[in-house]
Amino acid sequence: MAAAAAAAAAAAAASAAQQLSDEELFSQLRRYGLSPGPVTESTRPVYLKKLKKLREEEQQPPPAPPQEQQQQQQQQQQQQQHRTGGRSAKTRNNNNNNTAAVGAPPGAGAAAAAAGMGGRPLSGDLSYLRTSGALSRGLASAPDNPPGAAAAAAGATAAPALAAGGSKVLLGFSSDESDAEASPRDQASGGRKERAALQSRGGAKPAPLADGEAGPGQPAERRKPHAWWGARRPASAPEPLGAAGREGAPEDAEEGGDGGGGGGGGGEREPEGEELRWTSRPVNGSRLLPFSCRENYSDSEEEEEQDNVAVARPLFRDDSLLRPRPRRSHGKPPAGVRGEAPHPATATAGGCPGSDRAAGSLDRRRGPEEGGGCDPLDCSPIPRYRLNSKKPTPLLPDGDLTLDRKTNNHIGRGGFHLDPPRVYANSIPHSSLVASASSSPLGINHSNHTGSNHTYLKNTYQQKLSEPEEELLQQFKREEVSTPGGFSAHYLSMFLLTAACLFFLILGLTYLGMRGTGVSEDRALSVKSPFDETFEKIQANEKNLMMNSLYKLHDRLAQVAGDHECGNSIQRRLSVQEVAAYLKDLGPEYEDVFNMSLQWILENGKDVGIRCIGNGSSEDLTNITDVQFLQSTRPQMSFWCRFRRAFVTVTHRLLLLCLLLLLCFGVVMACVVLHYVKYHWTKEEEETRQMYDMVIKIIDVLRSHNDACQENKDLQPYMPIPHVRDSLIPPPDRKKMKKVWDRAVDFLAADESRVRTETQRIGGVDFLVWRWIQPAASRDKILVVPSKVWQGQAFHLDRRNSPPNSLTPCLKIRNMFDPVMEIGDHWHLAIQEAILEKCSDNDGIVHIAVDRNSCEGCVYVKCLSPEYAGKAFKALHGSWFDGKLVTVKYLRLDRYHHRFPQALTCNVPLKPSNKHMNSMSHLRLQTGTANSQGSS
Amino acid sequence: MMTSQKHRDFVAEPMGEKPVRSLAGIGEVLGKKLEDKGFDKAYVVLGQFLVLKKDEDLFREWLKDTCGASAKQSRDCFGCLREWCDAFL
Repeated sequence: MAAAAAAAAAAAAASAAQQLSDEELFSQLRRYGLSPGPVTESTRPVYLKKLKKLREEEQQPPPAPPQEQQQQQQQQQQQQQHRTGGRSAKTRNNNNNNTAAVGAPPGAGAAAAAAGMGGRPLSGDLSYLRTSGALSRGLASAPDNPPGAAAAAAGATAAPALAAGGSKVLLGFSSDESDAEASPRDQASGGRKERAALQSRGGAKPAPLADGEAGPGQPAERRKPHAWWGARRPASAPEPLGAAGREGAPEDAEEGGDGGGGGGGGGEREPEGEELRWTSRPVNGSRLLPFSCRENYSDSEEEEEQDNVAVARPLFRDDSLLRPRPRRSHGKPPAGVRGEAPHPATATAGGCPGSDRAAGSLDRRRGPEEGGGCDPLDCSPIPRYRLNSKKPTPLLPDGDLTLDRKTNNHIGRGGFHLDPPRVYANSIPHSSLVASASSSPLGINHSNHTGSNHTYLKNTYQQKLSEPEEELLQQFKREEVSTPGGFSAHYLSMFLLTAACLFFLILGLTYLGMRGTGVSEDRALSVKSPFDETFEKIQANEKNLMMNSLYKLHDRLAQVAGDHECGNSIQRRLSVQEVAAYLKDLGPEYEDVFNMSLQWILENGKDVGIRCIGNGSSEDLTNITDVQFLQSTRPQMSFWCRFRRAFVTVTHRLLLLCLLLLLCFGVVMACVVLHYVKYHWTKEEEETRQMYDMVIKIIDVLRSHNDACQENKDLQPYMPIPHVRDSLIPPPDRKKMKKVWDRAVDFLAADESRVRTETQRIGGVDFLVWRWIQPAASRDKILVVPSKVWQGQAFHLDRRNSPPNSLTPCLKIRNMFDPVMEIGDHWHLAIQEAILEKCSDNDGIVHIAVDRNSCEGCVYVKCLSPEYAGKAFKALHGSWFDGKLVTVKYLRLDRYHHRFPQALTCNVPLKPSNKHMNSMSHLRLQTGTANSQGSS
Repeated sequence: MMTSQKHRDFVAEPMGEKPVRSLAGIGEVLGKKLEDKGFDKAYVVLGQFLVLKKDEDLFREWLKDTCGASAKQSRDCFGCLREWCDAFL
């Protein structure tokens, strides 16, 4: 049921928003620090959405109680206005209570909100709300059921329950409750739970629902709803309580139906209760319907709840408290609403299910009870108590009895405590039973409410209630995210541990190895000694003595050497005198053997662990008298010394190893880096080259497009960049060339002055385009017009325009050049070359003079004979050269010689300086036949 | 930020009787939807824009609800109107 409440709350938030008046909307937005404009038909949806968003945001953090409380109070005040004065006072009291309680129960908020949803709509809206609520519940319930086996049971049992009796019905309800409980855990919204419950109910008895809706008008039905609620609560209680709660519920229902009838009729009543319950579900709506005033109250409260979704719990309690009073006055409906809300809360309280449920049941019971108190519902509360206590005692047990039970309940289950007191309070006015006792129980109940149960609920459901699903999802996500981190940390620690273990293993092995060698050496000594040759010569007793002395000496020397190795002493060896003194200390007999031992050692020549050292350096000693010092070849060290040395050695080697590895690694890394850098450079170079290629291609495309635009004015003078790319790069390469392309685009944007990037709308879409902004004409002139080239024949030569035979060997050629246009010092050579090339088949030209100052562009040519001159005349006259029409005249020889005296001696034919015939290239391509015609 | 030609055109002068489709981000489809809802002129949308107090979130939300504008479209439209207001209001 709690789930239902929560779910309803969520749904409610939306629907509630829809029903906010413009003023409310405005004020609420203002509360969130927004300064909205006028709320009109067109702006309203936008503001509603904004408000919703703001609410959701607000719910993320723990609810802001003060604001919500204020809201609640405001709403309550509004409600109060609607209500009568007396009611308003009560409600205010309730408000105070609510404020007190607000801090604790967050979970209740959702339920309250849900209730608010149901209640909120006015009489006109009621039916809508009911239907919507019912539908939503039904829809949501199905998914939620799985969690608890109870849910399934509920659905299954619901039908049987109807047939069997109230208890079964209760079971069904309980299943619903269980669903609700499960759902909170599942993070499902309370609403789902409620819905689930509803579904189960609905599945079992769809007809009852209809009845309930239809029934609102009938007081009995109304009562039944309450009873039904009571039943639900019991059902919720049953989970903890067991069958008793269920039984109690039926009883309640019956009682409600009977209007305060005796408890004895419980069995008979049960069926009724079931019916009532069934009806009651719909009842939430239906109840409200009959009592418009109540509905209003409930609506206002619900609205508040909705608004305060986050603070739902406090509201919850408040609602329950408040509602009872209004309910008393108005009747049952509000109670039912509240009851639903509490249920979710109770269900959600996993830790203290009993108490929570009890609380929920209490609230609900209060509602019904209160309602009953006003009307005939008084009986219902009592049954509930009974349910809690599992005592089927009469409906109107004495106050004391109920109190005791309550106390018991309290002890066992905090939640139940609350119920009884409330019941008392509720019932007090109506039923004679409670009378004085009620007040104290109430207080107790309150305390209980505020107690651990509530706090627990808060902790568990604060977030969930407000935004259950999203919060849960987020939490899940967080958990998922966090787990990998945990794993890595775990692995890291494992790795460290393993490394440490390995290290110490190495240390231990090294140490053992060193010790092992030491031991073996000792053995070697003992083994070697007996088999020595000279040793056999010695007598047995002396042999033993000598061996003892040798052993002692060996140990002593080893100790000294070990101390030296460990740095404890400077001395590594003992002098002969010291040794003698040492042996003397051990016993006089040893001293006697000393010399013999020395002799034996010297003669032995093998390594017995003792080395004799003379004064000199390393020469072999043969005489005992030469021996000055004795030294152990196998130092004996203490454990710590050995350990330290082993540690130092191992560390040293490890260090070396590490250094070596590092070195290798460094070398490898350097190689890799070098290779990478090299690769990078080559790649970059390659890319740069490709980029320039691309730039050139782009420019070509743009230029040719521009040319095309000159000719065809229909074309746009710009090209979209993507189109250029697509035309230049084939589809398979586009991804690969993207970088190159981007660089080329950047290059064009930054370093190409002839291309302008701009935005153009093409086909309704904005494109970045390139526009070629270099004027076309100047470029054409520069590029297209070659210089100093023969361009063809202007006319065919015949008698009219040329003399029939050659008169002189000298020619004057005009219009070969324009001196103003010529640049440089050697342009006349180019002209000379052009004439020679043009007359390449004429080897009679002996002198050419370019008059560089003539404005007519005159060139003078002298040939060997008039025949040659005639040939040249035909070749040159009437030709186009460098854009000018060349004309030729014969010149008299004496005048020529007069002007160019140096030509007198020229008789060697001139030839073109090279075979390229550059000036003829155009002619050959275009009018290759002209020459032959002209020459023939 | 690169602004579209449409944006520049709209911001360049008083909107006068320009149709709603002259707003940046409002093309044929959105323009049709807006016209169907009574927003046939750019100044009607400007009115909504002003009623929402030039709030970006609200206006874009409204545009989204009204004609199903995408994030880019609503951003363009908002930017266009805001800039126009900066220039002419």
